[in-house]
Amino acid sequence: MRRRVVVTSMGVVSSLGATPEEIGERLSVGAPRFVFTGEEGLWAAPVEGFDLKAYTGRFKAGRYLNRGAQFAVASAAAAMEASGLSEKQRADTGLFCGSGPNFDVGEEFARIDGGEISEEGLSALWMLRFLPNTAASAISRLTGIHGENHTCGSACAASLTALGEAYRKVRDGYLDTALAGGGDSRINRGGLLAYGMARALHRSEEDPSAVYAPFDANRKGFLPGEGGAFFLFEELEHARRRGAEIHAEVLGFGSSLDGYNMTAPDPSGTWAEKAVRLALDEAFLLPEEVDAVSAHGTATELNDRMEAELFGRLFGAHRPAILAPKAWLGHLASACGAVELAVMLAALKHGTLPTNPNLANPLDPALDIVVDGRSAEGISTLLFENFGFGGQNSALVVRRW
Amino acid sequence: MTVLEKIQATLADILDVEAKNIGTETYLFRDLDVESIDLLELAVSLSSEFNIDVNDDEVFLKTLRVYLSEPGDHVTDTRAYLMEKYPYLTASRVDEILADQEGGPVLKVKDIADYVTWRSDAA
Repeated sequence: MRRRVVVTSMGVVSSLGATPEEIGERLSVGAPRFVFTGEEGLWAAPVEGFDLKAYTGRFKAGRYLNRGAQFAVASAAAAMEASGLSEKQRADTGLFCGSGPNFDVGEEFARIDGGEISEEGLSALWMLRFLPNTAASAISRLTGIHGENHTCGSACAASLTALGEAYRKVRDGYLDTALAGGGDSRINRGGLLAYGMARALHRSEEDPSAVYAPFDANRKGFLPGEGGAFFLFEELEHARRRGAEIHAEVLGFGSSLDGYNMTAPDPSGTWAEKAVRLALDEAFLLPEEVDAVSAHGTATELNDRMEAELFGRLFGAHRPAILAPKAWLGHLASACGAVELAVMLAALKHGTLPTNPNLANPLDPALDIVVDGRSAEGISTLLFENFGFGGQNSALVVRRW
Repeated sequence: MTVLEKIQATLADILDVEAKNIGTETYLFRDLDVESIDLLELAVSLSSEFNIDVNDDEVFLKTLRVYLSEPGDHVTDTRAYLMEKYPYLTASRVDEILADQEGGPVLKVKDIADYVTWRSDAA
């Protein structure tokens, strides 16, 4: 019999809160809030008042963590703290971490003259702030995880890829427990410059908090976010034996590459659809059995059109609830999949689906995009999609427990 | 800030401990649990903070155990030999070190401060 994989612990650091209760509450009574970045026309959803030490205690390796890695480490520490695993079980746990590049070059280096990098202010091991696996190394040191592991760097699909890899390692018997997720931040001058020059950002003089809406006909790019989330994935019987609380079951994963463009998605959505269908096949589900989709929905011109058309082809007459977590979180780059899963689980627990409250002119009126407060009752099976730069497609199917 | 205060602050930053817990007599290994990468960071910080060339072997007494266990046939006076190898250590500090060989590496915060002062004077 195939091994079943369940989610038994979660840690999250997000702009909406750091517990499922906070996030659920914020989604149901609040409104999206984006703040000015200090760079002309650019707004973002930062995590305010974040303090790594509140999660790690004294932790000298903290100096080697860029802000994204700090979110990863903090949320991983919270997830492991809540897991109830013994020292031996922790040692046998795997670690799958989505990770992105550190674009904060302007802050990292005090001075660069004509290509010459000054050593001023640099730590001896400043390179660690740029290595993709530094978060994994720090998480291992902090939590006592020593098992099979992998750092995934598949752009904005990275943390969903990490979740998928962890799911398969547990399902296939390589591991009984695996910690998976990611953390990222591109809210810094380098990050804003990079995505600004790529024409991917929403630019406006006015506060976009009451305007920004994925899948709106008037969308004009994404707003950056930041944060991290990690989950303990565990084989069902292993979880039952130790009396662990079960939050959800992971049913299937799929991924693919467009092979089309270095940044833009293939507008036909052929390969994005392939990833989604693979995930559904692995879950032994038909598209009409999906109750809700946590869409990638970046509010860029190209992603949302491709994704809306994909829904039309995939679901036909079936109309699952389309959820757009980036309407609240902004785009967390490599961490989006993990934090979006955390937000959806928090919303289901709270009983209300996350809305896309600023949606005024739906790109495709036939889609059931959740705009107003709606009960999460009857929503059981969720499809998660993330599509990254370079045509990185990933999809995960999760069922409420 | 005095040399010592700067070293305290630097160590506190690198090790994520409070500066008030670091005194002249504090052992780096025995009390502060420093690791090799911490010394790497300390050497880089000392070099930029005090604008001196830092020799890791000298400042961290890295070769001390080798000097003591395999001094070579020509060495008759260990004390004099160590003073030659570590010219910044006073005679009384060398005596202290020779009497303090049980319990782990002898490196203390005051040794780092003495090294920095010695290098700064030489510069």
